Amino acid sequence: MSDPRRALLLAASLLAQAALARAAGPDAATILRRADRAVLGEAAVYTLRMTVIRTGKSDRVVEMKGWKKGDEQGLVRYTAPAKERGTAYLRSGQNTWLFLPSAEKVVRVGARQNFGGGDFSNADIFRLSLIRDYDPTLAGEETMEGQETYKLELKAKDRSIAYDRVVYWVRTDGTFYPVRADYYTLAGKRLKSLVVSEVKPLGGRTRPTLLAMESRVDEGSRTLLQFLTIQDDVSLEDRLFSPGALERGE
Amino acid sequence: MTLRLLAIALRNLLRAKRRNALAGGSMALGTAALVLAAGLADGITRQLSDNLIAVQTGHLQVVVRPTDFVPQNNPFDAYGQDEIPDADRLARRIEQEGRDAGVVRAVPFLFVRGTAMAGSRSSVAWIVGIDPGREPELRAAQKAVAGRFLPEGDDLAVYLSAPSARRLRLGVGDEVSFVVQTPRGAVNSFDGTVCGVFRKGAPWYDSAFYVTLVAAQKLVDWPGGATNVKVLLADGEGRALQRARAAVDAIVARSSPGPLPPNTRVRVETYTEAGRFSWAIVQANEAALVMLSGFLFAAAGVGVVNAMLMSVRERTREIGTMRALGLRRSGIVGLFVLEGLALGIASAVAGAVLGGAVVLYLALTGIPMTVSSLAWMAGGDVLYPALEAGSVLRATLSIVLLSTLASVYPAFSASRLEPREALHHV
Repeated sequence: MSDPRRALLLAASLLAQAALARAAGPDAATILRRADRAVLGEAAVYTLRMTVIRTGKSDRVVEMKGWKKGDEQGLVRYTAPAKERGTAYLRSGQNTWLFLPSAEKVVRVGARQNFGGGDFSNADIFRLSLIRDYDPTLAGEETMEGQETYKLELKAKDRSIAYDRVVYWVRTDGTFYPVRADYYTLAGKRLKSLVVSEVKPLGGRTRPTLLAMESRVDEGSRTLLQFLTIQDDVSLEDRLFSPGALERGE
Repeated sequence: MTLRLLAIALRNLLRAKRRNALAGGSMALGTAALVLAAGLADGITRQLSDNLIAVQTGHLQVVVRPTDFVPQNNPFDAYGQDEIPDADRLARRIEQEGRDAGVVRAVPFLFVRGTAMAGSRSSVAWIVGIDPGREPELRAAQKAVAGRFLPEGDDLAVYLSAPSARRLRLGVGDEVSFVVQTPRGAVNSFDGTVCGVFRKGAPWYDSAFYVTLVAAQKLVDWPGGATNVKVLLADGEGRALQRARAAVDAIVARSSPGPLPPNTRVRVETYTEAGRFSWAIVQANEAALVMLSGFLFAAAGVGVVNAMLMSVRERTREIGTMRALGLRRSGIVGLFVLEGLALGIASAVAGAVLGGAVVLYLALTGIPMTVSSLAWMAGGDVLYPALEAGSVLRATLSIVLLSTLASVYPAFSASRLEPREALHHV
């Protein structure tokens, strides 16, 4: 075989491999792992504003500061309004605690209880890793909320995980930003939907900054989490995430 | 001699009609008030215990409790939190093997807390999964005011209280959803249709929603499980209750239900142990009745003593004549005590008839408990007083005893009069 023909075959083979690789794309676990880190990094300090919207009631707005370290530790303290300042939630391992300054007491709360009276549960706020709790399957690609997305079917690894099934849409453009998640009960009822939006530069990189959780059973109920500042890759000590520190207000 | 004294006593009572009518009237009213108060207390006790037995505990209940369980004195203490695995098998075994010990029926049910939702409204839900065909007592205690009781085999039907229906704006045929967290941790849901609405009964059943046991088992992800086994007995009192409890205890031990969660054990509880909250109300009512009786006794007693002392004063000459004719001091004491006894019997019987008639009337019409705190005290939004022979007899005898005892002091005063001194007034 002459050299030009060999070069042509080589080029064709390389092109085919590249096309196949692109067609195959990342696997479901990779997509989920990347999406897990799309908003907050491995360790982060952030501030956010939570707006709880209820039909026929005025909006409830709370501002808070949060700390996150790895997949096991998270802490959120209310900073405003003044009457709620000091209220704090701590997640360490499988346990969640609530500190109420008025009672000067730390109490253990369920991960599935709602967070601050909104539509997010404590587990939603502190769900630091979906890949740890769910087996993902890539169900295809589709347009969701105006974005080209991977559609992932997440099945809970056991019956102790809050939502038995999650359908998760993640952008295909290489950013792996989550776009939307639908959460289902054991009986298969869609309980709530999360829409992730407002991609903009924050804390040195571009990322989604608005999380809107909407109840599918309690009509008109919606809760917005707007990230105001984010600082990634910070060094945080483990003692910050202890119930004792929660009480001391460290 | 005694009969003669009795004849004199009765004649004396009739001689001073106005004075004795006043004293007797106050005792009759006191008896009527006691009978009425006892009727109210008995009505409350009956309502609370009937509700507790029919709706929650049965006469006995089998439940899984933490080994360090301490009742918190709230209406939901009776419900278990942990699973009795294969509860239906255990219930049927108790029913069959406990028949000789007086067991009429044993029924499993499942209790779980959750949230009920309809449209944009939501409320706390105490969801109870029952076997509707085996719950005639519950059906009677929580009668349908709209629609019908939970139908057998309809695992989408929901039977809810009137206050919950109002709160969620639900009517028969409307859809309602529940969301619960299963004991293992997952979130689960149920979509059902309202089949009926019941009048609430005790206020603490306001948040109760009934579904079939199968639907509840699916909801909490416990196939075959339940939180309680309710045991109904032919006789749920005293020794019969304790005998049945021992028998059920033995059956449960032989069945060894399991596996159980760590640090828990199966307990057989009587309704008085399981329903401490209701019994605290009963005890509070009984204490109030004792206090009320004390005041009534004091008031009636003062009236009788006063009437008798007046009688002694008015009859000084008569007493002197009787003493001069040879009647001993003991005879004078006996005469006045017999007068007190006769007055007491006549007044207490009249009061018991009056009080009993009022209780019977109120038992038919019911007394609306319009204020929430009253409804909590009475264990229902309407209180039906109960006329119980024991209570009526107790009230009657205690007034007779009071009247007799109250006449002792005046009787001794009369007996101390010297014939010479008494005849001095002639």
